[in-house]
Amino acid sequence: MPDETSDTPETMPIEDYLAQGGMLTSPDNVPPRYRGELLRLMASFVDSELAGSAGFADVINEAPGIKERIAAARIVLEKADHAGRVLEIMGSFGADTARYAVHHPWSARLPRDADIAAERRGGDMRLSVLHYPLEGWIDAVAMNALMGRAVVIQLGELARVSYQPLAEVFRAILPREAHHAGLGLEGLKRIAGTEEGRRAAREAIAYWRPRVASSFGLAGSARYEKLARLGLRHTPNEALLAEWQAAVDAELAALTLN
Amino acid sequence: MARFHPLQVTEVRRETRDAVVVTLQPREDDRSTFRFTQGQYLTFRRMFDGEELRRSYSICAGLDEGVLRVGIKRVDGGCFSTWANEALQPGDTLEAMPPTGAFFTPLEPAVAKHYLAFAGGSGITPVLSVIKTTLSREPRSQFTLVYGNRHVCSIMFREELDDLKNLYLGRLSVLHILESEAQDIDLFTGRIDVEKCEALFRGWIDVKSVDTAFICGPEPMMLAVAAALRKHGLRDEQIKFELFASSQPGRARRKVVSESADRHATCEAIVTLDGTARSFTFPKAGQSLLEAALENRMDAPFACKAGVCSTCRARVIEGEVEMETNHALEDYEVRQGYVLTCQSYPLSDRIVVSYDQ
Repeated sequence: MPDETSDTPETMPIEDYLAQGGMLTSPDNVPPRYRGELLRLMASFVDSELAGSAGFADVINEAPGIKERIAAARIVLEKADHAGRVLEIMGSFGADTARYAVHHPWSARLPRDADIAAERRGGDMRLSVLHYPLEGWIDAVAMNALMGRAVVIQLGELARVSYQPLAEVFRAILPREAHHAGLGLEGLKRIAGTEEGRRAAREAIAYWRPRVASSFGLAGSARYEKLARLGLRHTPNEALLAEWQAAVDAELAALTLN
Repeated sequence: MARFHPLQVTEVRRETRDAVVVTLQPREDDRSTFRFTQGQYLTFRRMFDGEELRRSYSICAGLDEGVLRVGIKRVDGGCFSTWANEALQPGDTLEAMPPTGAFFTPLEPAVAKHYLAFAGGSGITPVLSVIKTTLSREPRSQFTLVYGNRHVCSIMFREELDDLKNLYLGRLSVLHILESEAQDIDLFTGRIDVEKCEALFRGWIDVKSVDTAFICGPEPMMLAVAAALRKHGLRDEQIKFELFASSQPGRARRKVVSESADRHATCEAIVTLDGTARSFTFPKAGQSLLEAALENRMDAPFACKAGVCSTCRARVIEGEVEMETNHALEDYEVRQGYVLTCQSYPLSDRIVVSYDQ
């Protein structure tokens, strides 16, 4: 409800309001810079979910059993759905959502040994880790267990964003993404049941762990400071990364995969 | 993409000295388009001196009233609100986009919830819609409203709130906080700030019993109320905000590009899309390359229009453009001539651009 005013003439600059934890509620009351950063954040999430979903689609056929097949299919379905929900909010800012959803080949991947660090590539905003191809079932499960935990931690952070309609979507998505991470861990547990499985899983974890870690962004990031002032971030990259490392250490230790 | 539809004004009721309540009727075909949820708003557009202004106003009607009604308070210097307060008449037509907004919680007829709302001035408008709908659709729920105004005479919907209290006996309580008028109880004089909230929560409102809180008002009030509610244990997901812009920003005009770069005020563009080249002329200032292409009925790709998603990327083959912002292209792409067309304004008199490369 952007254009009404109260009898209380006292207002404040929107930047101060945001810096003090204020919430914005509609495309009409976001300032231009905020709009840009918010859309970028949403585009990054949408692209990552679409790329993640597309990458996992091929894995369905690698599943060793019905249960695993269903788990992989569920991840493909729900990540696409989550992208759709955030894309809908981008649509409220004028984005052509139908075109956006197909404007990029989401299943495209770089070579397995490409060295791109945390760089964004090509025409989309997916997290760099999602540029790497999955190689078979065990590799996919290991990636999903590690990335799943990262997504849960990153979504916990994003659920606090100062744009209320988006915060509400992230809060609704969070339990389902947590379930995806749980499916990954469950799959990893089954794989770790044999010596051969453990060996393959360790290898996959060694490949994915640094790549997932880099998806948390750089320590002491200047971008973080900018976003924090807008209420779009609340916990620094390095703190989220440390939280993830600790969670993953505990999960892998329980499966003797560390 | 949301479109504008005509709405006929059927009633303009003066609510206070500087606020009107406007009843609107969609065309028969548009009835379902304008079905709304409590707490939503409408965005209107109107030309003023050859310039389109868009303004949003909250719906004050409840779901069961069967009408579409908005409250418009006059803002000093506000073009649209002044016009609506002084010149708008029954029989006029307004153009509006379908209702939008998320200032509501799902209705659950069986629940017995306690809702708490804080409204400042015309911030009452969406809150009134929420109160009326909730009391009607959730027969066991109750509502507490804390409503801040400067004077008694500037309270919007004062009578309607009194009527609601009588209609839903014991289920709606309203606490008026008046800034400039002394009242029997000191607590009810002043502004809605952190101290006022603390005092209210000590004796008048049991925050522990509150399921959901709604806040609509100016920024300082929203911050103060949210802080007080959080301190008393409400979680983020229990607090619904609706912010209204405190200013009435005019249409953003771009500065004219400096003389040195161009000889003409317009640019001739040759743009290739899907293998077809089209040429058109557009002004160097005020309109991005993307907007110009769209206006010339080119089906140019775009998504965020904020220089963010890079969907609108194209390659400049000849001539020079300037990007206002760029959050998506890497330096090496820019060096290759790629631009975000939604952020690009021509510097040269002629540009050749391709969306196909």
